[in-house]
Amino acid sequence: MASTIFIVDDSATILMSMEAILNKAGFTVAKAVSGEDAVTKLQGGLKPALIITDIHMPGMNGIDLIRKVRTMSGFQFVPILVVSTESQQAKRDEARAAKATGWLVKPVQPDDLLKVVKQILPNG
Amino acid sequence: MTDPAAPDSERLVLMRMGAAAAAVAACVALAVLAFDGTGVAAGFVALLSLGGVMMGYGVGRKVGPMPSLIRMRMFRVADELAQYRAFTRLLRDQGERITASTSEAATAIVMGLREMDANIARMQAIVERDAAGGTNELQSLVDAVGAPVVGLLGQIQFQDVTQQQIAFLSRLSLIVDQHMIDLARQMGDRRSMDRVGNFKEMFDTALENCVMTSQRQDHHTAAGLDLQEARGPKIELF
Repeated sequence: MASTIFIVDDSATILMSMEAILNKAGFTVAKAVSGEDAVTKLQGGLKPALIITDIHMPGMNGIDLIRKVRTMSGFQFVPILVVSTESQQAKRDEARAAKATGWLVKPVQPDDLLKVVKQILPNG
Repeated sequence: MTDPAAPDSERLVLMRMGAAAAAVAACVALAVLAFDGTGVAAGFVALLSLGGVMMGYGVGRKVGPMPSLIRMRMFRVADELAQYRAFTRLLRDQGERITASTSEAATAIVMGLREMDANIARMQAIVERDAAGGTNELQSLVDAVGAPVVGLLGQIQFQDVTQQQIAFLSRLSLIVDQHMIDLARQMGDRRSMDRVGNFKEMFDTALENCVMTSQRQDHHTAAGLDLQEARGPKIELF
């Protein structure tokens, strides 16, 4: 069964394009448009193999989402990738401290994205 | 709102000086009254002192530490500063429009690309099923048609990057906006925020060069006008 990748981004364009790229590579995709939406879906029983989140989102931002997810039972070790236009080192350090798995700067080439995803999910 | 840390206005300082001088004049008049006992003489001295205070106040306003000419120029600068806020608002409005229109277009492009991709996958399946053997050329053609789709899906992320850049510019303009408000207040003219002077004429000149109704709409909004331009039909034959 294909692994589910959970994408969290407030940009409809990003959600749709990443979904298409990952679907084409054989992954199942779940989507959320905000940090709050993501938490609701995870609490509702969604069990993704990987979470990909943006940083700058209205309401709960990506870093807060990672912190929240890490406190939720069953999600302490789920890999979380940050994909953001933000490239500041301080923000990266903040994400690392919140226990993010990796950081990709937008725009991400599909090949690069798939390479990282397959590295994290070798059996995906 | 009044800034509690702002220094007293020149007018207030002059009025205080005048009040102090009037107090001194009153003391002199009382002294004259006490020594000489003549009420008329005391009144005359007080009147002369009051006249002197009024003259001093008037001269101070004209040629004092901040003569009227400089004060008027400061008010004028405060006016201009306040009006630049309309300019920053115009930039923000245009930014929002760019974001909205590119988002809409990018979403449509992604949907189109996904549909193309799905159809190409179906074509590949049909070629493999129905035209097995001797179809290398057709197979490679289908592959070639489908190859750029994933790359294009990645490229479409430009829209999100552009949106972030515009949002950043918008935040900057809000900071500049607030700074202009503070500066205008420092200039001492409380009414400058409510006035729109000759900057409006420059603004109207820029409006002449607008080619889109939405741009003119932004101009009207930034200038504080609640004016909706009538939109003509998209296609019109004359």
